[in-house]
Amino acid sequence: MKKRILVLALAASVLAAFALAGDVTLDVKEHVLANGMKILMIPKPGVPRVVCHIYFQVGSINERPGITGSAHVHEHLMFKGTEVMGVTDYAAESKIDARIDELMGKIYRERFWKDAGDAAKIAAWQKEVDELVKVQKAYIIKDDLWTQYMKNGGTGLNASTSQETTGYYVTLPSNKVELQMLMESDRMMNARFREFYSEKDVIMEERRLSENQPGYFFGEQVDAAFFAASPYHWDVIGWMDDLKKMTKEDLVAFHDTFYVPNNAVAIYVGDFDPAAIVAMAEKYFGRIPKGPDLEPIRTGEPPQYSEKRLYGEGPAATSLRMMFHIPPDGHADTAALGILAGTLGSGGGGGGRGMGGGGGTGRLYKTLVRDKQIAVNASASSRPQWYVGSFQFNATPRVDKGVKPEDLEKEIWAEVEKIKKEGLTEEEIQKAKNKGEAAFTRSLASSAGLASRVGRADLKRGWRSILTDLDDLKKVTNDDIKRVAATYFVKDNSLTAIYTRKSGR
Amino acid sequence: MKKTIIAVLLLAFVCAGLGLGQAKHPSELKYPVLKYDPPDPKAFRTAYAGGLRAYVQEDRSLPLFNITALVNCGDLYVPKDKAGLGTVLGDQLIKGGTKTREGSTIEDRIDFLGGSLSFNVGERTSTLSLSVLTKDLDEGLALFFDVLMNPAFREEPLKLAKARFVEQLRQANDNPGGVLSREYEKLLYGDNALTRRATKATYDSVTAADLAAFHAKFFTPKNVILAVAGDFAKAGLKAKIDKLAAGWKGGAAAFPALPASFPAPEPGVYFIQKAINQGYISLGHLGLQDTNPDYYAVQIMNFILGGGSFTSRITTKVRSDEGLSYNQGSRFSYRWGFPGTFSGYVQTKSSTVGYAISLILAEFDRIRREPVADAEMETAINYYLESFADIFQSSQSTMMSFANLEMTGRPMDFYKTFRSRIEAVTKARVQEVAQKYIHPDKSVIMIVGDFEPCNKGGDKWPGPLDKLGQLRKISLTDPMTGLEIKTP
Repeated sequence: MKKRILVLALAASVLAAFALAGDVTLDVKEHVLANGMKILMIPKPGVPRVVCHIYFQVGSINERPGITGSAHVHEHLMFKGTEVMGVTDYAAESKIDARIDELMGKIYRERFWKDAGDAAKIAAWQKEVDELVKVQKAYIIKDDLWTQYMKNGGTGLNASTSQETTGYYVTLPSNKVELQMLMESDRMMNARFREFYSEKDVIMEERRLSENQPGYFFGEQVDAAFFAASPYHWDVIGWMDDLKKMTKEDLVAFHDTFYVPNNAVAIYVGDFDPAAIVAMAEKYFGRIPKGPDLEPIRTGEPPQYSEKRLYGEGPAATSLRMMFHIPPDGHADTAALGILAGTLGSGGGGGGRGMGGGGGTGRLYKTLVRDKQIAVNASASSRPQWYVGSFQFNATPRVDKGVKPEDLEKEIWAEVEKIKKEGLTEEEIQKAKNKGEAAFTRSLASSAGLASRVGRADLKRGWRSILTDLDDLKKVTNDDIKRVAATYFVKDNSLTAIYTRKSGR
Repeated sequence: MKKTIIAVLLLAFVCAGLGLGQAKHPSELKYPVLKYDPPDPKAFRTAYAGGLRAYVQEDRSLPLFNITALVNCGDLYVPKDKAGLGTVLGDQLIKGGTKTREGSTIEDRIDFLGGSLSFNVGERTSTLSLSVLTKDLDEGLALFFDVLMNPAFREEPLKLAKARFVEQLRQANDNPGGVLSREYEKLLYGDNALTRRATKATYDSVTAADLAAFHAKFFTPKNVILAVAGDFAKAGLKAKIDKLAAGWKGGAAAFPALPASFPAPEPGVYFIQKAINQGYISLGHLGLQDTNPDYYAVQIMNFILGGGSFTSRITTKVRSDEGLSYNQGSRFSYRWGFPGTFSGYVQTKSSTVGYAISLILAEFDRIRREPVADAEMETAINYYLESFADIFQSSQSTMMSFANLEMTGRPMDFYKTFRSRIEAVTKARVQEVAQKYIHPDKSVIMIVGDFEPCNKGGDKWPGPLDKLGQLRKISLTDPMTGLEIKTP
């Protein structure tokens, strides 16, 4: 273990950045370590708790066919210990683990590389693996990191993987932030993916849970058809085949590529002194060597040049989905598309990235649900995402009145055509701007929500993009609305998915 | 006192920061002392016109105003033939408009201000919540009290709401998790107000007069407690609320009798057929109320058994060791006025359904039979002590917690005494409450899944499922009619 003691001119190293929106301030203090890792801090004096999040610029879009789902599998394995955590005798345990990997490698080759593998060989190897797993168990301290956090009052303890980012979360008492710095830096450097094979079983169960949600399979196919070329093509959970065949080597390579400090942002929100946070970050995260620079995603979505239509049947509500390709986050049209989604109908979703709103006040609700009474629900949402975006309409027809998804499709097109000609009303545009500003103010109230929004935003376009996006929203005119509607809401840029409840189920 | 805490912390942080050793393992870390006293409800309690009670906190950190009216009323007070009235009220209190405003006018205006106004009906408590920017406080407050006091339940929006809710009934059997929790409760509580479900007929029967009568009965100043936090001065707010609530009439509400006794279902396996690739499972029986003195020991016991996520025994065994599931554990649910449920739960692929159940039952048995380990006690108790301040992170939710304590008649020193009561729990008490509140022999095991593969089992636990107890198949009801669906 390297021993480096860094004495810092703390005050000078902290860049305080103030940004204003209306009369509310977003005050984020920034510090960049020599290895490129960024530390963001939002002090909120009061209750002695600190929200501690780390975000990595890696998600399912960084995968390729064959290893889909690996960003998420890797996130699970980050809880399986290191050289010092989760193990009583690393030297002894690591030998057993290596032997398990060797045997599993043979089993995978026999089972997955051959058309008719030797079942007897597989059974013999598996028997040996089962015995080794029992021996290994004696050295393993189960869920050590999780236990350490919990017995020190960690709450909000979790991790999550999206298409673009992976985050690790805990909220601790103000006097225990060092615990997070120690354990998070340790697992960035020394993660050891014990119990890899049983954890893959857990993840396959996680996938099955999704599969058993009504309409999941069709939704997965719809997304795959809409995003044909870009790595948004597969779901974060990955295809079942890849989950089965993924190897530990795949995960180690993934870890070494993406879990480098220059690909990470740590953010702290709560009752703390920034100078103390910076000192601890230097001590713990500062010890991790910088990794190579990372190339952005190469493949975007090519133009469709033709309309796509998908039909499905199954055990879920009859419904309509219409999707349109839109440009990614930060594009000049993003704000106008957000206003359109908000004005047409609620739905939003998308973990804060989608912009929607309205509910009972949205145009689609008023027209289709309230006045014409042909839909149970109708919503719109805009999800620009990092590389390729989508604008969606979702609606459920009034089956009791014999309404079909295709009827709602015609109605939505009529609304869209009207907007291309007339745009929105001044009041609707002003409402969307008011909502954007109020939502920004409200977002500052929740420490965990703020950490998530600022941390994720910082990975791609910098946290100040939250404020410039708000400025962009204020500048949108009705001409912008008409222009974006005419640009993106065209058949050749669309996918329409029609799902019908199968009789008897 | 707050300042001294910060000073002590700062000093400790700076010492740590100046390179006084880089720990390799958490056991090497030394933390500065952190003392935290929870806020005292008394300091926030106030009363407005007509005896309207409130918990109010000035919080000037952001230009926001939040107010919630906690109303003592809910689905449990709905007459038998009007099941679904609570759901309709949840939608129509706002959408049905007030005596002077259309519902859509109210919604449009709140939306234009970038605010939110929502109403939610629960089992015995309901909440009307408003959030607006401080600059819109007066207008928002006026709309809030208008909705609270003067709803009109107009015919047109009511007709639409009923039709939409009937349509949504079609989806009631789609989600296996939803089916399981509904049928599990029905089995444990029997047929009464707790488990009654709306059908097309009961939705159709709900009239504007029913809603108005329900509102008149329960929405009275003495039956409501406000929770308020944000950017305002207490005195100014009092003047405003006193004025708005001045004409609000009505005395103490008369409440219908609550279900007091519940059938003891036959132990064994209850199977609900659904063509999915996992079994969704709950197993257990009725539990206790959170007013029971055993509550604290039960919390610690269940944390160790299956409530403490990855530190708990069920998660370690079923998920981590065996890789059988993503989501598993045990829980005690708590309800106001009668016992909640105790359940172990897991979702696992069809072939390991029996095995996963057998492992959970073994853990039920073990925590009754053997004292828990010292390390388990330490983790569980420290979790509750060290995370305690989390409850008070938001001023609005703190005010809501206090309002809830008062509404449900729990002691107002609940939070003040919480940590000492948790600290007092011993290993002996944990075993005692495990024996008192966990009864594997009386447990029902409910499974939603595909019968044939679940019943067949796998290598580690070959079926049939009746090895776990007498097997009964349950037919689902048609959500539209409430009548049993005849399986072909």
